[in-house]
Amino acid sequence: MPRKSLVIQEKPEKKTTTPEAEASKETSTPKKRTLATAKKILATGITEAEAIERAKTGDGEAFEVLYGLHKRRVYSLCLRMTGNTAEAEDLTQEAFLQLYRKIATFRGESAFSTWLHRLAVNVVLMHLRKKGLPEVSLQETLEPSEEDGPKKDIGARDNVLAGSIDRVNLERAIESLPPGYRIIFVLHDIEGYEHNEIAEMMGCSIGNSKSQLHKARMKLRDLLKTSKIDRAGKY
Amino acid sequence: MRPTGAALGREKMNCAEFQRDLPFIIDEGGNAEQEQHLKECKVCADLVNDLRFIAEQAKLLVPMKDPSAKVWDGIQDSLEREGLVKPRQSKRGLLGFQS
Repeated sequence: MPRKSLVIQEKPEKKTTTPEAEASKETSTPKKRTLATAKKILATGITEAEAIERAKTGDGEAFEVLYGLHKRRVYSLCLRMTGNTAEAEDLTQEAFLQLYRKIATFRGESAFSTWLHRLAVNVVLMHLRKKGLPEVSLQETLEPSEEDGPKKDIGARDNVLAGSIDRVNLERAIESLPPGYRIIFVLHDIEGYEHNEIAEMMGCSIGNSKSQLHKARMKLRDLLKTSKIDRAGKY
Repeated sequence: MRPTGAALGREKMNCAEFQRDLPFIIDEGGNAEQEQHLKECKVCADLVNDLRFIAEQAKLLVPMKDPSAKVWDGIQDSLEREGLVKPRQSKRGLLGFQS
């Protein structure tokens, strides 16, 4: 199946970077003491691994370095999963508090960022369960609904997204997904978890995870097409 | 999975059957019958292209925002309350910087 050429309107940054590269990206301002400290410590040759070992012994400076290195990704995860800035900040705080309490148990069997990321996901999911939000619809529709019917797009011009989605519109569309769809989409397509991992985290079946992901993508497709038509109408 | 058109004696898989199976094959690939339908049906091919494109673009989304400074303040306050760090003499970070 031929792939259409993609027109990406923003140059994507690499998803994974070294702590040093991450720290050097940010500018130092009077308020960004944490990052300035992180740079200073990294500049003296202390690696993230050393910061982890020191943080395990209760070294507050080392913990502050780890916070500076990982706060953006943890916050971004919380924000995408909840769609709410205040909640995301509370959950980021909780995730790092749990990190401080549990870091002594980190054995290095996985990458630290992976371990921290999983911890943050669990914090968010616990929060959503307490709120009583339907994380995933556990009742699979046995009979196809009208929404699930075959897409014929008969007579529709411009049936494809034409390889052009900008980051802002995609982020907006993700934000407007129903919570259950958004969580699965964020975990699978953005954060890279596999369906068996998501099923374990969410307490659902692998089939359910795949089904919800598909519905999320279908909904995004509709939202992005509508957005595209709206923008085309303006010009 | 439910029997397909071919299994039921009809000649070819139709769009309803293909799209019903799509959640379970889009990331892993389908069987010969599903792939054949994809080659022959522009609507389903466009749909699959769009969905895969969305998934690919999602992978490129990088974290863009930092939490506000009050998150770090809150962490320090909590750690002090729990007795895990020494109280600050003034409103300063763990390294002695003001937040």
